[in-house]
Order: sequence, then C-alpha cells, then structure tokens
Amino acid sequence: MTDAQLPDDVFAGIRVADFAWVGVGPLVSKYLADHGAEVIRVESSVRPEPLRRAPPFVDDQPGLDNSGYYADFNSSKRCCSLNMQHPQGVELAKRLIAECDIVTESFTPKAMRAWGLTYDDLRAVRPDIIMISMPMYGSTGPWSMWQGYGHVLQAAAGISHLTHYPGEEPIGTGVAYTDFLVPHFAAAALIAALDHRQRTGEGQNIDFGQLEAALHATETMILDYTVNGREQEALGARHLDHAPHGTYQCAPRGDDDDRWIAIACTTDDEWRALAEIAGRPQWADDPRFHTRFDRLSNQDQLDALLAAWTRAQPAEQLMQTLQAAGVPAGVVQTPEDLRSDPQLAHRGHFWMLDHPAMGRRAYDGPSFRLSETPANLHKPAPLLGENNEYVWKQIAHLSDDEYVELLITGALE
Amino acid sequence: MPANTPTGPLAPFRVLDLTNELGQLAGRMLAELGADVIKFEPPDGDPARWNAPFYHDEPHPERSLFWWTFNHSKRGVTLDLSRPRGRDLFLQLVDQADFIVESTPPGAMDAVGLGWETIHARNPRLVMTSITPFGQDGPYAQWRATDLIGAAMGGLASLCGAPGRPPIRPSAAQGYTQVSAQAVVGTMIAHYHRTRTGRGQRVDQSMQEAVTFTHDNAMPTWDIRGINITRPGNGRNIGGYWSGQYVFEAADGYVAALSFGGLFGLTARQTIEWLDHHGMADDLTSEEWLAKLDASQGVLIPPGGDDSDHLIEVLAKFCKRFTRAQLVAEAQQIRNGWGIVHTPADLLQNEHLQARNFWTELEHEDLDETVTYPGPWAKLSATPLSVRRRAPKLGEHNQDIYSGLLNLSAPDLANLKSAGVI
Repeated sequence: MTDAQLPDDVFAGIRVADFAWVGVGPLVSKYLADHGAEVIRVESSVRPEPLRRAPPFVDDQPGLDNSGYYADFNSSKRCCSLNMQHPQGVELAKRLIAECDIVTESFTPKAMRAWGLTYDDLRAVRPDIIMISMPMYGSTGPWSMWQGYGHVLQAAAGISHLTHYPGEEPIGTGVAYTDFLVPHFAAAALIAALDHRQRTGEGQNIDFGQLEAALHATETMILDYTVNGREQEALGARHLDHAPHGTYQCAPRGDDDDRWIAIACTTDDEWRALAEIAGRPQWADDPRFHTRFDRLSNQDQLDALLAAWTRAQPAEQLMQTLQAAGVPAGVVQTPEDLRSDPQLAHRGHFWMLDHPAMGRRAYDGPSFRLSETPANLHKPAPLLGENNEYVWKQIAHLSDDEYVELLITGALE
Repeated sequence: MPANTPTGPLAPFRVLDLTNELGQLAGRMLAELGADVIKFEPPDGDPARWNAPFYHDEPHPERSLFWWTFNHSKRGVTLDLSRPRGRDLFLQLVDQADFIVESTPPGAMDAVGLGWETIHARNPRLVMTSITPFGQDGPYAQWRATDLIGAAMGGLASLCGAPGRPPIRPSAAQGYTQVSAQAVVGTMIAHYHRTRTGRGQRVDQSMQEAVTFTHDNAMPTWDIRGINITRPGNGRNIGGYWSGQYVFEAADGYVAALSFGGLFGLTARQTIEWLDHHGMADDLTSEEWLAKLDASQGVLIPPGGDDSDHLIEVLAKFCKRFTRAQLVAEAQQIRNGWGIVHTPADLLQNEHLQARNFWTELEHEDLDETVTYPGPWAKLSATPLSVRRRAPKLGEHNQDIYSGLLNLSAPDLANLKSAGVI
C-alpha cells in the first residue's frame, strides 16, 4: 500500500491480478483501482499490451511508456512484467494469483486454457478466487475463439445498424463503442460477486461475453423485431416520438465552422418556448408544426427552418438561452469543450496526474460521486514492469536470489 | 427459461426503484442481479409506458416495448409520493429496503420530504443512487436533457457521423444506457462498502459525465496532441490519425473489416496472403507495399492519404465478392478480428447466441404470447443472473407489497385507492 492509498478506501485489502488488455478489461479493473484495490497489471515486453503501442504519444514519440491511450485506462494501478513463454512463467503467475482475490483476463479462451490458468486450475491455488474472463464472444460457443475490437463489436451487436444517416451505410459510432459500454456491466457483476464472497466466503467464475452485454444497448430494437417482426432503421439524430429532435449548425467560433447544437423538444410547451426564443411564435401555431404528430410528419421542413435560424447563433449562447426557457438543448461538445466544461469541472471529472515519462496529464475519473467513499486516482498509469521488485519479492515471496535468477533468465521480460 | 427464485448475488436485497426512462435500466440490472426490485409509479402510470415502439403498434400503457424492456424482472406498485400518506408508506418501505435508485430532478425528492438526509436518518444502511442529466449540483444541474442532449454534452455526438455533415446519435438511447449501467457500478461499490462497514451512502450519477466515458482516445489526444478528434464517418480515428474506412459491403450485407491498428494493422502480411489466395491482392504483394504495411514490429499508426485510398479500394472490391459469413470466418482464421454488421433478424438467427442459450422467453399471459428477450449479460457460476418476469402492469403488485410487506388490510388498500394514494 502506498502512502496515497487510504486504509478506508472501499477496496482496501483487495488485490487483483489484471491479465486483461486493451480496452474492456483494464477499464473494469480501473474502477477497482480508483477505489482502493491493489490492481497489479501483468504484462510483458515480449508481447506488449497493444494499447501501449497506440497513439496518442507524448511529443509524438512512440514508446511503451508514452501512450496516452494506455495511460487513461490504467490509473491507480501497479504493473509487473512476466514472460508467459518462459518455462517458469505459468508457475510464477500462479504464485502471484495465490496472493490475489480477483483475476481478470480478456484473451480468447484458448490462452488461459493453454497456460493451465482456467478457473478450475486457479481454484486449486486459491479456493475463494473470483475470476472474470471477458472474451469478445464468451468462453463457449462456435464463435468463442473469434477476436475483435470495440468498433467491430458495435457492428456485431446491432448498434451500427442503428447508428448512421437514414438509408446509408451502417457506419456506427466513431469510437470503439462497446469498449466503453460493456466494462460497466462486467464491473457490476464482478463487484456483486466480490460482495457475495465477503458475505459468504464463496468465490466464483464469471464468463462475460462482451457481445451479450453489448446487446443490452439495443434492447427495444430487438423486441421490435421479436414482437412486431420489424427491423428498425437508423434515424440519424431524429427520434421515433419527438420533433424537433436533431443537431443544427451554429455560427462559427473563430475559424471553427463546425459548431453544432442539439435540440430535443419532448412537449408542445417546449416547442412553443423555442419558437418564442427564435422570434417566430407563429411556428408553434403553424398547422404543419402545431402538435407533436404534425411536427413528426413535417420534419424536413421543420429542420430546415430551425437550421436556418441556428446558423447565425453562437452555440454556447443559444444553449444558455434555450435552457433558461426550459428547452432541452446542448452544444455538441468536442474534446476541447469537455476540458473546459464548467459542469464537468464542478464535478472534478478530469484528474491531473504526474507521470514519470509523460508528465502532467488528464485522466478520466468515474462518472459517479460517492458521498462516503469517493474515487481516489492516487497514481498515474504504471510504467511497464515498474513494480517488479515489489510484486515478485513482497507479494509473490520470491527470495532475492530467485528474483535475480528470474531476471537473468528472462522470466520477467 | 426464467427462474422464479432469484439466484443472483443480490438475492438477499431489496430495491425501491423511482426511475423514469433515464434510469430504468439501472433498476432492471439490479433485478437481474437478483434483488427484489419494486418499481414505483404515480397512480396514473409512469410516462415511459407511452414510449414507442408498441406491441403490434397499438399505443397502450401496457404495450410499450420500451416499458417491457427496461422494467422486466421488477415488481410494480403505484404510489403518490406528493401526499403525506404516500410519503409515509414509502418511508415504511425504506425501513425494509437496501437500495433506492431514483432519477427525479435534483431537489425533487427533498421537495416531497424524501431527500437524502431524511432517508439516511431513517435507514443509515441504505444506499441511495440518484441519476440525473448533469448531477446533483453545479451550474447545469437544473438543466433539462434527453438522451440526445446527453450524447451532445458528453461528447459522443461530436464523434458520431461524417465530417461536414450533422452529428448523429445511435437511435437506441445510449445516454440512458450509459448512465444506468455506470450508476449500477457506483451502487455496487457503495454496496460492498456497506457490507464491510454497515454504512450506507449517496451515489450521485450524471448522464453527461457517463457519456464522457465514451470518448475512446479523444481526451488524451486533445490533452497530448492538441487535436480535436471529430466524427470520422465510415472509419476510425486513433490518436488523431484516421485509420481508413472499415465497414464494407459484402455480397449479402456489411462487414466490419478492422484489424488492430487500422485497416491492415498488425496482421498486414497475413491479410495480403489471404487476398492473394483469392487472386485479389492487386499490387499489395509488392515489396514496397509489404514494407509499408508491415507494422508487426512497429507502432500502430495507420497509413494515410493515397495509400489509404488504395487499400480501401482493394478491400472494397474483395469484400463485395464474398458473403459476410465467409469473409469473417476466413478473416478470423488469420487472427483478423473482423465481424458481421448484424441486423436484428441476424441476431435472432445467430447460431452462436443460440448455442450459449442467450435468449430468454417471458410469458405475457394477458396477450397470450411468449416474447423473446435478451438474456442476462454475464454468466456467474455460483450466483447466476436471471430474467424473472415480464414488466409489471400498472399497480400489479400493490397488494403483494402493501399487504405482504406493510400488513395493510383489504379495507386499508381500498381506502388508499379511492383517495388516489395508490
């Protein structure tokens, strides 16, 4: 425990062997680490964690300790290195796991099986271990050995089918969306299992198929098919029930002519308030736009009128004016906007942490505030193998001689 | 098939659910985890009962598929919390509850005398999770937001859509999904803390901040490179580098043809061999291209400009010639993580999901129907999750709850009903 970790952090005393990589797994263990668990990333320089090789890099200089992508997902964690191809790799992994409460991994199922590190193997080492495996398609079934990434899984889960301009190709979101969706489901299950162990002493195995969790992002689409036989279509920014409901271009900000506002009127009152603010109260009485159903039937005309009006308005000012009148509206915020957003600042969303190689950088904290046990991002992301000596000698109880021998023979590369 | 007896890790616990469309998934996830979740509605029903789509397109408060989806596995009661008698009944249930999850606007619970201080004094062990668009306090706390506003203010909309065209959102509400799922994580952390210490706490969850979690690498890219990643259209943007189109038309639909690190990424050599095997590698077998694409020792920065255009052209031609199933099966053999762009019909017919018994059937006896729902989202060996029952009808469990838990008599219930309290 470092000085910065507090003994009354929620997960104080809980140790995690974090074999997971890239997005989903590290974002699950980040919740634990940011709330006081000792999360030990188990990585290797022989086959580096792919995110350590992914941009953005500080000064555009690639380096395993220089990726902002990796760093953001791995706050508050330690890191040891272990070469699983070394003859003693598996044995060392077991020595570490014997001292841990939780094991996480997100490989295709064959990796842990090949190493003899399945739940049944690990339960022999540590009877109350909780293991969570998070392969793309789950641990069983005909696609279980398939690989994938968040961009691909959003397509496989039907999210891309609902995320595009009407009638065009299914481009999906512009992010590896499921990487930022399914970790919450996995973390909820994992912490519930940890609580069960705390109450009963019983550990367990969690088979977390990322696809299955992702399918909970489009459930009404699925029911519309199973109940009505309808394949829902993507609506762009529009809505089945409400209009106006869209994004509208605003006045340029400096030389940036990509400023947009989202407006969603869900009641006639909100629509009337919007028309007043636009200085066109007659819109609300226009038979084309009078009721919700009128507006839904004439969306092209409605959107054209609104867009012509918003084009001359600065987005931030328009948002303030509309919200003051009770109209749901918000700037389509860019990353730059988010960093200066007063509400996110009020909640302290971004944490500034000093990384030995990358310097002072912004990290995302969790999106909730706990009144008694708030998150504590107590250290930046670890360097590769940063905590080798501590992990292998103090936790896994290797002697000085054993540790040096393993260093020399490459077991800790 | 649904299990009537809860088997999940939260089986010993009870949840009072006061969520609207913003947070109904949160209560449902707790129900799937095994908790006894009691959904409260005003006597005239929850507004989400009117959310489209509807069973056989018939608008009716018992036929909203939105309502069905986000409230199954819960029990349902009606209660007017604005009346003193309603508040009193609620507080009696607080005595027997472990969680409250609610999504009223900041201050609304205080206005009816059910604010956090009151709840906490009444039951110090209780965990109360409050889900709002922007959080309990701060400059935007009183602002209104639907899912679209959450997607915009949290940064997801700026990353969805094509350059020069309007930002879009997924047509299934991801702001609501994100805020609910993340609220459950916060709730579970508070729950674990309670188990250890006996002390409850407040979880203050913001939709805007939950959506901010979805930026992928856009925040470090701004922080480190000063580049605002914008919506990449059909493609991905990694660290400020556009990695090229990745959704391609196959002979029978679309595939997502992404490899780690971009279009060809770490498996460039294998991919070119594969294309060549089908006689469709074009000039990519040349030493020049192999050198350019062999990223296996390098860094995951994809090629840009004309190179990117050429790779897209070759892949587009290739994909168009084969079915989705063949493309993805062959891609997976060379460790390319390609996938099928599924439609709802594809998903229901998918052999993999069937083999994993993913789908769950729920009886809607009033409609004489059995409806297929997505099943649990994790498989826990000792404490399995379960989908237990269809969503409650309006006031369906009033008697179970008010008589069963609070020992009210039949005349008491009748009086409450005629007074409009339940």
